[in-house]
Amino acid sequence: MSAVLASGLTDFLRDAVDPQVQADAMGLGAIFALMAVGIGLVFGVLRLINFAYGQLIMAGGFALAFASERGWPVVAGIALCVVVVVGLSLVMERIVFRPLRGQSPASMLVATFAVAFLLQSIALIWFGPLGKNAISLVELNQPVSIGSVEVRKISVVSLATALVALALLVLLLNRTSIGLHMRAAALDFPTARLVGVRANAVSAVAVVLAGLLAATGAVLLTVQYPTVTPTFALRETIIVLAGVVLGGMNRLYSATLGGFAIGYVFGVLGGALPTNQSQYLTSFVFALVIVVLLLRPEGLFTRGGRVVERV
Amino acid sequence: MRAPRSLVQLIGPVGLVVAAALVGATVSRTTEIYFINALVAVSMVVALYVFVGNSGVLSFGHISFVAVGAWTAGVLSVPEAEKPAFMPYLFGFLRDTTVGNVESLVLAGVVAGVFALLVGLPLMRLSGLAAGIATFAVLEITNNVLRYYENVGPGLNTFSSVPETTGLTQAALGALVVIVIAFAYQRSRFGRQLRAAREDPAAARAVGVSIYRQRLAAFALSGFLAGLAGGLYVHFLPLQIDGVYLDLTFITLAMLVIGGATSLWGAVVGALAVSALDSVLANAETGITILGWSFDVPAGTRLVVVSALMALVLILRPSGLTGGKELAFGSLRRLRPAPAEAVE
Amino acid sequence: MSDSALAVSELEVAYGAVPAVRGVSFAVGEGEIVGLIGPNGAGKSTTLHAIVGLVPARGGDVTLRGRSLRGWSPERIARAGVALVPEGRRLFAELTVEENLRLGLAARRENGSARDALAEVFALFPVLEEFRRRHAGALSGGQQQQLAIARALVAKPSVLLLDEPSLGLAPTIVDLVFSTLAQIRDRGLAILLVEQRAQRTVALADRTHVLANGELRLELTPRDAGDTDRMIAAYLA
Repeated sequence: MSAVLASGLTDFLRDAVDPQVQADAMGLGAIFALMAVGIGLVFGVLRLINFAYGQLIMAGGFALAFASERGWPVVAGIALCVVVVVGLSLVMERIVFRPLRGQSPASMLVATFAVAFLLQSIALIWFGPLGKNAISLVELNQPVSIGSVEVRKISVVSLATALVALALLVLLLNRTSIGLHMRAAALDFPTARLVGVRANAVSAVAVVLAGLLAATGAVLLTVQYPTVTPTFALRETIIVLAGVVLGGMNRLYSATLGGFAIGYVFGVLGGALPTNQSQYLTSFVFALVIVVLLLRPEGLFTRGGRVVERV
Repeated sequence: MRAPRSLVQLIGPVGLVVAAALVGATVSRTTEIYFINALVAVSMVVALYVFVGNSGVLSFGHISFVAVGAWTAGVLSVPEAEKPAFMPYLFGFLRDTTVGNVESLVLAGVVAGVFALLVGLPLMRLSGLAAGIATFAVLEITNNVLRYYENVGPGLNTFSSVPETTGLTQAALGALVVIVIAFAYQRSRFGRQLRAAREDPAAARAVGVSIYRQRLAAFALSGFLAGLAGGLYVHFLPLQIDGVYLDLTFITLAMLVIGGATSLWGAVVGALAVSALDSVLANAETGITILGWSFDVPAGTRLVVVSALMALVLILRPSGLTGGKELAFGSLRRLRPAPAEAVE
Repeated sequence: MSDSALAVSELEVAYGAVPAVRGVSFAVGEGEIVGLIGPNGAGKSTTLHAIVGLVPARGGDVTLRGRSLRGWSPERIARAGVALVPEGRRLFAELTVEENLRLGLAARRENGSARDALAEVFALFPVLEEFRRRHAGALSGGQQQQLAIARALVAKPSVLLLDEPSLGLAPTIVDLVFSTLAQIRDRGLAILLVEQRAQRTVALADRTHVLANGELRLELTPRDAGDTDRMIAAYLA
């Protein structure tokens, strides 16, 4: 019995440190981190958890599939994806988020839940349950040699894209006046408005940035899962939401870390555990979410500090 | 004087359910399905209302209790000979036990209620956004476990060969039982304390109300009723795990929000109104004619309309169609003064 | 009244059914300080909040150089040249002194360089330049009050509203605040000063209104500074 267990553990460890598994896990973590930043940015400024974030990625996926089916060049497909996702984000901000401003976070969450289902069911009517294929970038699944190890190109591309996107975002937040306005709005929206920060501009910029990140996520995710269905990215968004809560949603960096960590853990365990064990990973992660909410409502990656009770 | 006056508030919800059942009895067999479905929805939404409406705390987790109830009633009512066909890995005591219809419904409620109580012990300390996310986590865990843990149910298989006892009568009786229990609870001392705490937590605490205990009691009762509704559901149609997951969570929340989350009347109106709309659209998806106009809408329109309606109600009329108030009749309308506006 | 920088006429504000401000009218001209004093709950802060659009007016009007501000959002009012130094300062404690000041620039109308605007307030409050890289939350109470006033001034407003700027400050800092107000009045700003320190306010301001129960009850001038307390006590009794 113990021999079986030991050999199982050995198998697991051998698989877990496998460079390919590690690279895939980091690539997945990078995509999840981007999504976490998108969710965290909107939450920071609007105090709204956008449950419909996954459907933005889904819309981007369908845009990529549209371009791919018509044989558009890759760049044109990505451009269409960005236009669709950012456009949809702005529409959502204008007709849903803005009218809801000032309502309780819980009712805003229910409203975005409704928007998520709305977009999903529109996609179902439009594209059918089987979805479309976005295959312009599938060659990124080919392996590439780094030194003596082979990893998939997409893992490297995801990691690099995420690092560049996050660096740009940090620059924007810290070096521009709109970035300063967003940080102020995230800290204390009423006072920010009092000193002249335009609420609508700040919330539109936050939503556009989140949309750009969602579009990036859509491009990277379609490489791994080229079949885009109406429930595309739904699972991933739910897991990222858990990661954001685990990391701590009051701070952008802790939300980002939470997103990366949960993607990485899913990648490693998914790659190394046999299916009959990894299938309960969701339960484990969400049990952790509950424990963190009870014990450290401010999140795992925050340094103590003030806990803002939002009831 | 209180008893008769308050019982008046029961007339609306009960009358509506009875009316729906009576109309359902006159229509064709295929149309009757929609009425049964609507009445089961009433049970689920009223169960959800018992917690969300009275406490003011959001729950995404109630379909967990519906699922647990459905699994309990389903596993225990399938004839022993049929179980191995789609539930080969059941625990011995589940494999060898089969109970009657009513027992299975009661057990569905009890198991789900105990589950809700256990879950609520830690969770009821949370409120607002944290509570919303934690209850969502409960939904994910329950769904994940029921999906893969084949020792307690069919896993990914469909619940076939559950006796289809939930016809119009059972659906209506079930809805009435849930409504009466929900009503009795909200008129009880416990229900009134929880509603007071929803309006003004500080004042409720100041007079010695333990919000935690009151919420926990409501959560467990609401879990019990949701489990009962789940039992009714599994006796109505062949259920599969995805049938008690996100879509049902969404549609029941939508019904509650659209009807008006803070009143029993709102819960019942929401469940029946959205079900009616849903049925009309479901028919329209296969092509129907109403008043000389023929409709032929694409498949999936139902969810589009319901989710758009829910978003609109949240934006334009957050208190729902009924304004979140109980139904009042004629001269009785002015017995209670309108609540004063909140004073800062 | 129409040529006044700021004019409040027949202002009515209520929270729910409870009236907080009842028919208040006054005006503040350029280069003028108008004081607003009165007991707690008299409606002083509510009047300020109504002017900057934080609470809606139920009746009456607020005009800026004759232009009505009714229904405007707080940021629009700020950008039109009305700056508030709020009670409790409401600084962004986690941002640096300089970032707080740069936020003040959000409401600035003219397109001068940010550096010049900062230099001007640093000249008024040298301590802020010294600590410009520090977090606002790490400053002393007096320094924070200077920062709050500087944040309002950096936007070059035409009307400056202050809500109890001397609250909880050491006497030397109170002196600094009051002398700064006198100094900036001479640059043509219209200043509305809500205060608890009645005597000092009456002495500084060109006119001081006494507010009680949401209504203006009495107007005092610097000549009354000597026996402000007695006059107010006699009136309110």
